[in-house]
Amino acid sequence: MTYETKMKNTYKNKLKSMVKHPYFGFFVITIIMLLVQVLRVAGVDVANQTLRAFGKTMIYIIVGLGFSILLGFGGLASLGTAGFVGLGAYLLGYFTNNKGYSVFLIILITIVVAIIVGTVVGFISLRIEGMYLAIITLAIAEIINEVFTNWTAFSNGIDGMIVNNRIVLFNKYIVLDPNVVFVAISLALLLMMIITFNIMKSPTGRALLAMRNSTSAAQAMGISIFKYRLLAFIVSTVYAMLAGVLYLTYIPSTFPVPGDWTLNLSLLILAAVIVGGSRSIYGIIMGTFLIFGFDLAVLSNRNNFGGYFVEHPEISIMLNGVLIILVIMFYRGGLIRLVNTVIAFIKRLFLKLKNKWKEYRYGPDSE
Amino acid sequence: MVQIVNRIKTNIYDILLKRQEANLSYKKEYLVIKTEEVNEKRAKNIAKTELLFNHKLAKYETHAGIASSYINELIREKEEIINKQAKLDTRVLKQKIKQAKSDDLVANLNKKIADVEVNRLKRISDAKVKYLNPNPSESDKALYDNQRKELEDLKQERIKKINLKADLHIEKINKQTQASIEKLSASISSFKEKLIKLEEQMTDKNTVVLEKDLILSLRNLSMHFGGLKAVDDLSFDVKKGEIFGLIGPNGAGKTTVFNCITRFYKPTSGNIYFNNVNGKTVHLNEMKVHNVIKEGIVRTFQNVELVWELNILDNLLVAAHSSYRSSFFHHLVHSRLTKREEVIYTKKAMKILNDLDLTPYTYAFPIGLPYGVLKKVELARTLMSNPKLIILDEPAAGLNDTETKELSEFIKKIKDEYDVTIFLVEHDMGLVMSICDTVCAISFGKKLDIGTPKQIQSSKVVQEAYLGGE
Amino acid sequence: MGAFWLDFGIASAILFVAYNIFKIFFLKYFKNQAKVKSRVINLIVFLLIIYTFVIVYQTAQEKFGDRALAYMILQFINQIPNIASLALATTAIVLIYKTSTTTNFAQSMMATFGAYSAAKAVQYIGANYQWTTTTTVIVALFAGSFVAFLLGVFIDTVIIRYSKDKTPIGKQMITMGLVIILMGLMPMIFGFNSSNNPLVIPQLFPATEKVPLTFLNTWGIIEMQLSMTKHSLYILIFSVFLLVLLFSLLRFTKWGLGVRATASNERVASMMGVNTKLITALSWGIAGFLGGVAAIIKAPTDINPALMVSTQVNGFVAAVLGSFTSFSGPLIASILIPLLQGLMVSLVGNWNFTVVYAIILAFVLIKPEGLFGKKVDKKV
Repeated sequence: MTYETKMKNTYKNKLKSMVKHPYFGFFVITIIMLLVQVLRVAGVDVANQTLRAFGKTMIYIIVGLGFSILLGFGGLASLGTAGFVGLGAYLLGYFTNNKGYSVFLIILITIVVAIIVGTVVGFISLRIEGMYLAIITLAIAEIINEVFTNWTAFSNGIDGMIVNNRIVLFNKYIVLDPNVVFVAISLALLLMMIITFNIMKSPTGRALLAMRNSTSAAQAMGISIFKYRLLAFIVSTVYAMLAGVLYLTYIPSTFPVPGDWTLNLSLLILAAVIVGGSRSIYGIIMGTFLIFGFDLAVLSNRNNFGGYFVEHPEISIMLNGVLIILVIMFYRGGLIRLVNTVIAFIKRLFLKLKNKWKEYRYGPDSE
Repeated sequence: MVQIVNRIKTNIYDILLKRQEANLSYKKEYLVIKTEEVNEKRAKNIAKTELLFNHKLAKYETHAGIASSYINELIREKEEIINKQAKLDTRVLKQKIKQAKSDDLVANLNKKIADVEVNRLKRISDAKVKYLNPNPSESDKALYDNQRKELEDLKQERIKKINLKADLHIEKINKQTQASIEKLSASISSFKEKLIKLEEQMTDKNTVVLEKDLILSLRNLSMHFGGLKAVDDLSFDVKKGEIFGLIGPNGAGKTTVFNCITRFYKPTSGNIYFNNVNGKTVHLNEMKVHNVIKEGIVRTFQNVELVWELNILDNLLVAAHSSYRSSFFHHLVHSRLTKREEVIYTKKAMKILNDLDLTPYTYAFPIGLPYGVLKKVELARTLMSNPKLIILDEPAAGLNDTETKELSEFIKKIKDEYDVTIFLVEHDMGLVMSICDTVCAISFGKKLDIGTPKQIQSSKVVQEAYLGGE
Repeated sequence: MGAFWLDFGIASAILFVAYNIFKIFFLKYFKNQAKVKSRVINLIVFLLIIYTFVIVYQTAQEKFGDRALAYMILQFINQIPNIASLALATTAIVLIYKTSTTTNFAQSMMATFGAYSAAKAVQYIGANYQWTTTTTVIVALFAGSFVAFLLGVFIDTVIIRYSKDKTPIGKQMITMGLVIILMGLMPMIFGFNSSNNPLVIPQLFPATEKVPLTFLNTWGIIEMQLSMTKHSLYILIFSVFLLVLLFSLLRFTKWGLGVRATASNERVASMMGVNTKLITALSWGIAGFLGGVAAIIKAPTDINPALMVSTQVNGFVAAVLGSFTSFSGPLIASILIPLLQGLMVSLVGNWNFTVVYAIILAFVLIKPEGLFGKKVDKKV
């Protein structure tokens, strides 16, 4: 090999290795998200609602990532996720308005509370089989919602918490600009995607899968069910509560009301994870966009379909339910499997067409 | 009082020993990997230097008309490009000929093909001239000699520097690691000595020390499920390094026995003692299920319990889970420790897969693989944690005669290569009689007889239980 | 309230210590240790419940003096519609669990569907016939519950039958999907509750018609004159009748035997000649019927999709508490839970739901099989 050819090859290799790197896709997605925001700032007429939809969807993706560790890897169904998200939001609101804590301190507090709550739920999960676990998490979600409704000193009850659209940064109240928060959310999403990917491909992820398949075999291989069940719950609770904190920073004009964090939201998150493919990050992104993003951006817009879906919000809700049933009954792999199949099919087709074109243009290969 | 202190000491030494052994094996592997990395880099740099040298020298070689291998390589590459293009052009013309309608056109096209060939040869000779001066002058040659010497010196210097740097690096790694390896080895052997001495001194009635040639001892084991006596006052010893078989009719309690050993069941009464990896006698009754593997006992399952979502290689990596030193936080950030450990255990898994002839299946998923292969993978999994005792739960279930023969070969191979004791529970008498050193027969939870396969075959008690009294 | 928790805590601690002493010293003398342990725990829980009653009584005495007992009985009377509704819903949940091995999260939606149909029937009858309220409600009750029955049969035949080979969690998620579908479907079919589309179910008898419970006075239990609404009385009788009917069917008929056979092993049952398809369909239908009744008897209500959600959560909790393996356990739990929730109001006010749930959670932690369940040793 000569010097020039080698140099050429090295550049090609470097580019290839960059694209093949597992984190590359995450960066691409973050850039696409940021692009939407950038377009808006640059003056392109991106509807405010669409922008909000993207932001909210990103937050739900974070919840979904944590949920996938719990369900896809740990095999544990939990219906309390929405309550945890609400708890995160309430924590931010309470500590910002009533106590004036800096947002970094609040994030720390949120993580600590999440670890405690996750540990409690994890302990419970050790005593109860999978099917009953969903019910117990439902009861826990009810308890959390009751706390929201009754502990008015903390949450201001059903009137909703007054949020002044501000956080505390370096001892000053700073009013939040949604555009800046959007960027923060995108970066947070990138970080979460990378971390989730690391967990999935690591020995921890494998241990969770082993535990999911057979607790006996996992124990025989040295995997402590106690430790890993707890871990799964703690991780997913931390994700959910941090997403809750982000939610309140992004949607400042909502008053968190106890009714926001009920079973409905948990079921939708479950739907997003299952429909997208519960073990794949890209699957969850697609699933969340389908269940949440589509609804928020397209169907809720009065300009689309003559506002039909706004008048009849039940229809989009119903569609989500139909999707869950169809995916579970017929196509367990979810959207990601569909996309992978289609991509493989397109690749083969492309190859075939390329060969056919070569034959046509240059005649059959004589060598 | 002294006995209690001794007991505590042995426990502490045991834990420390395990941790230090893990550290030692990691450090050894780390040394190997790091050295490999450095050598790889060294080779890469040397190759780069050589290439650069050749590239710089090529100019002078061209002028001086010296046909070195590098020049030939340049010419060859150029030739390749020219030939490819010519071939392509010929193909296009031939295709046009096929589609041509008139003879005139055909003749024209044939002429073009000849032209292409002429062109090709011309361009090749042009390239040859470009890269190889056919009429070098003396001054060119002199210049070439000069430059060659200079560049050669430069190259040697650079290579020397690279080698020096790499060797220094390796030396540094060696020094650092060897020092800690030596320290660890010394401390390990000293701990082992102390442990052995303490074990010998244990005269306490409450502590049992197994003889050194035994690895597992069941003493009066009983397991009652409500009113049903699944295992009734069973006692036997398993010697180190042998293949031990447990046979009995269905419902005799075989599965219950080793579920008790592996701690899936809590025995109603009786004691199980095990000579663990450090030579310490452990009382298995008090262990938690997921700690058993750390003592050196692994088991297979009657129903293949593989992880369906992972490929075969990953399944083996799961089995090494107890040997991993990286914690969850390492995994969160994909630290260097995680990366290195993955390399280490992947290498180990590859070796095991190779030994069991499973290499073609390395990246396959368990779904759809033949049953015999899956059973072998279960067997391979057990080897990943350096066990001392492997318990096989009906390994020949579902296999035909050929596969069973293959299996017995592999079991013997494993025993020899990996220095393990094998405990079999099996129905297939052929397998048991052919490879087991000792066989124990039980029925209705009680021991019938124990001895070599021949003894068991001729034992009256066993025959009665299997064939019915006469 | 602080005093209650202090006393309750002390009582629990004493019982906990007593239990452990018992476990350490006396348990070895018993042959069947697991059974004895579970009986002892049940006893302790029973004692704690009695103790809770006592404390509530004491608190009530502080507030109402002599009329404390009357107050507590009043709480019980007020909870009767809830208890009846919950008992029916819980039985439906356990029935479906036994036949399809899945917890049916769509139970509340099936019940609400029945309630919607009943409300529509009330509308229709009111517009076209001049019947009394009582007759209207009775007809609407049967009509709505029958619609719920059909819905249950439909769901089983079309969806559940083809999901038999999914994992238990998969089947649960299918029911969760059903929740979402029904939640959207109901407003679409029946419209929203508004002035031109009133979806209301009145009580059987107006709330003013009461039945004086004179037996309480004549038996010398209390002095005050307590009464119960006629509506509550009749639905109580009806619910008891339904439950007794169901239990007898399960116990004494071929269908009941088939249900129990299908519950333990569906494949084997079908091989033995049990028509499992018919049985599961009927079971889902009956569960729908029970749910419909449970929803309708909560009158007077404005019908909305979230009508039965809290009842369902209570029902699941009752089923876990009483263990899914029997029918009687959840039944007892479904009587206890609203009772405790009602009594707790005097102690902890708005927190009554939370406190009862938290206590049940703690109990389930200690004894996962529930009050009456059996611990199953798994074969490895």
